[in-house]
Amino acid sequence: MNSSFSDPAFWSRFQFGFTLTYHYLFPQLTMGLAWFLVYWKWRALKTGDEKYNRAVRFWAKIFGLIFSIGVVTGVPMEFQFGTNWAGFSRYAGGTIGQTLAMEGMFAFFLESAFVGALIWGEKRLGPRYHFLAAVAVAFGSWLSAYFIVNTNSFMQHPVGYQVDFHGSLGIGNLRAYLLNPWALIQFSHNQMAALVTGSFVIAAIGAFYALRQLHPAQAQLYLRAGTWTGLIASLLVAFPTGDQQAKMVGKYQPVTLAAMEGKFVGGAHAGVAVIGQPNVTTRRLDNAIEMPGALSFLAYGHFGSYVRGLDEFPTTVWPDNIELLYYSFHLMITLGTIFIALMAYAVFENWRSRLHFNRCLLWALMLALPFPYIANTLGWMTAELGRQPWLVYGLFRTRDGYSKVVSGGDTVFTLIGFVGLYFVLGLLFLYLVGREIGHGPEDEVTAGPPPNDAAVLRSKEEHFS
Amino acid sequence: MIALWYALISFMLIVYIALDGRNFGAGMLHWLVARTAEERRQVIAAIGPLWLWHEVWLVGFGGTLVAVFPRLMASAFAGYYLALFLILWSLILRGISIEVGGHINDALWQGFWDFVFVFSSFLLAVLFGLAAGNVARGVPLDVDGNFSMPFFTNFSVRGQVGLIDWYTISIAIFAAVILAAHGGAYLTLKTEGSVHDRSSKYTKYLWAMAVPLFLVISVESHAVRPDAFGRAIHSPFCWFGITVTLIAVCTLISGISAHHELRTFLGSNFILIGLLTTGGAAIFPVMLYSTLAAENSMTAYSAAATENSLRLALIWWPVGLALAVVYFVFISRCYAGKVTVRRDTQGYY
Repeated sequence: MNSSFSDPAFWSRFQFGFTLTYHYLFPQLTMGLAWFLVYWKWRALKTGDEKYNRAVRFWAKIFGLIFSIGVVTGVPMEFQFGTNWAGFSRYAGGTIGQTLAMEGMFAFFLESAFVGALIWGEKRLGPRYHFLAAVAVAFGSWLSAYFIVNTNSFMQHPVGYQVDFHGSLGIGNLRAYLLNPWALIQFSHNQMAALVTGSFVIAAIGAFYALRQLHPAQAQLYLRAGTWTGLIASLLVAFPTGDQQAKMVGKYQPVTLAAMEGKFVGGAHAGVAVIGQPNVTTRRLDNAIEMPGALSFLAYGHFGSYVRGLDEFPTTVWPDNIELLYYSFHLMITLGTIFIALMAYAVFENWRSRLHFNRCLLWALMLALPFPYIANTLGWMTAELGRQPWLVYGLFRTRDGYSKVVSGGDTVFTLIGFVGLYFVLGLLFLYLVGREIGHGPEDEVTAGPPPNDAAVLRSKEEHFS
Repeated sequence: MIALWYALISFMLIVYIALDGRNFGAGMLHWLVARTAEERRQVIAAIGPLWLWHEVWLVGFGGTLVAVFPRLMASAFAGYYLALFLILWSLILRGISIEVGGHINDALWQGFWDFVFVFSSFLLAVLFGLAAGNVARGVPLDVDGNFSMPFFTNFSVRGQVGLIDWYTISIAIFAAVILAAHGGAYLTLKTEGSVHDRSSKYTKYLWAMAVPLFLVISVESHAVRPDAFGRAIHSPFCWFGITVTLIAVCTLISGISAHHELRTFLGSNFILIGLLTTGGAAIFPVMLYSTLAAENSMTAYSAAATENSLRLALIWWPVGLALAVVYFVFISRCYAGKVTVRRDTQGYY
């Protein structure tokens, strides 16, 4: 791809990649956290134990912050389809618009109506309706994810469309479009990954409090819920969802699979590289250490299966950044494996009731917080770089999709605007969440905020009176 | 089918303007009606838990527009490039200012976010007004259905026009005034004490100001788009819109004189709905009028998706709308009545 400073296609891609990656840092956590809130609300209803309500109150504050940044950074995405990708909207708007509209009508209306009730409405609603608000928000956020993943799946593996007399796409079969096999698998994989993020964040905050010997009951609750969910979700991310996702790429986008694995030459008994750097100039994998036959087995079920190499495809359909695709995919797999090992060890220690004294492990859990974000981002980079050079796989090239009337310079300008604005949002977010974590959940003995902060205490009393 | 979708799309945009318009209005009046820190929290509390629900109507509108009029979306959004990004950035700032302002009990912190709130609300009202003016006046659409517009050219309404000219500016001023009046009516309904009294006063003044402005923009619109007026006379939807507006004006006046706040606010909503319906019906079927040559104009028929896509979308869309009505009932019951800073404050303390 021509990456000259005035190339509008490059900058539109860069801008969309940036705004989308940044945006997705927030929803992946809300989607992960939402079910923890539902679970704790439900436990509180069943057992009447106030500690679950305290946990919900604490996490709902953080949830609210993440949710609002997720919303304000999400609204531009839909409009960028028109501003920077007019060619694509003109070509495929009749299909992908359906799921974008459904996301608004079915998911956003639901979420936005109930999220206020979840965060501020505990007193107004009472426990039963507050629980229902949590369910509505969790369900809405996952539904929204399905529509977006479905939209992306159409770009990865177009089904259910028809071509109209303008040469652009419309819906042919709505059921086929909505039940795109790609969407079902990618949705499961993506949602499990969101759950990994949620559970790692909860476990990390639990570990932080345990290390500082603060809020012991809450710390224990977060560590138990976080590590158990973390282990189960990490396992499900790899198998069956990740495994199925790779098989699907092998089936529908064989050239992408070859690029992901740096397979320049096809063959049977294809291996998975543990170490190696793709070298596109010499068309080989430098200093490769491979597990022989592993790729054949993972992709097609037999160690002897033939895996097609990049040499069997014209370079015009090669993904245009093979190195980045390869590193994204491999680093994602590596992180996923580490997640399983870390959470398995943590669950074991927790089961033996030793987690609270294992400071090394608590440190590891706390420092692991950013890594699920990295893994999620790498996963999406693998999916989107792997789709190149197509915007709609096999039908429509990325080169044809950008807005012809918008110059590269205009896009750079708006990109810089987003970078600046999002940098400020990020600082603001970290400051406010850091503050909430500093305040911590209410403790059992001194139900209320830290007593040294008189103003806070006074307004809290007013609030509850 | 295409006419029906034109109506539904317009409906979503009109609902959005009526819902979020009150927040823009409240934002513009924020400094005028609320003087102390406590009063300012009251204004924020009045729109706090609801702005999100209002803003998603814009998202719903955007998504549906891609689905049913993809070619319009492609031409318009790329053509209004920088203006649209200003709207998006203002929306980000507006949302953030409402959300984080109440997080910290500090005068400087809240003062800063109040400023962001006022500034972005004002910008949004003006930008949406300019957008409406542009839709009415038309854009320099070429034969391929593309256009790209500077912020302003020579302020004329023919040929190579810009985003801003004498006509779109007057529409923007009118929009800012009626949205401020709308926000005032909302704050009168939702607040108590001095915020309530001041809002009620400003609502009266602003609606009174809107009347001469309305006459001005009517005459201007007739000069800019005589063809739309010719069509409007024969359109039953236009007459419907005009009727709604007239009834709403009577409702508003009787509400104001009887100090019946809910009636005033309903009147205010239906004035917006009536005016926008009249405008939407008057320009139909042209969605983007070309100021270069009338035959370049993009109509609903040339912008629409395939017949099959439209038919399929009509199956699920009403379900989504019905659910939205259910949520609306829930929200109205949940947040009914006046707000108090004590109970509804956005902050955590």
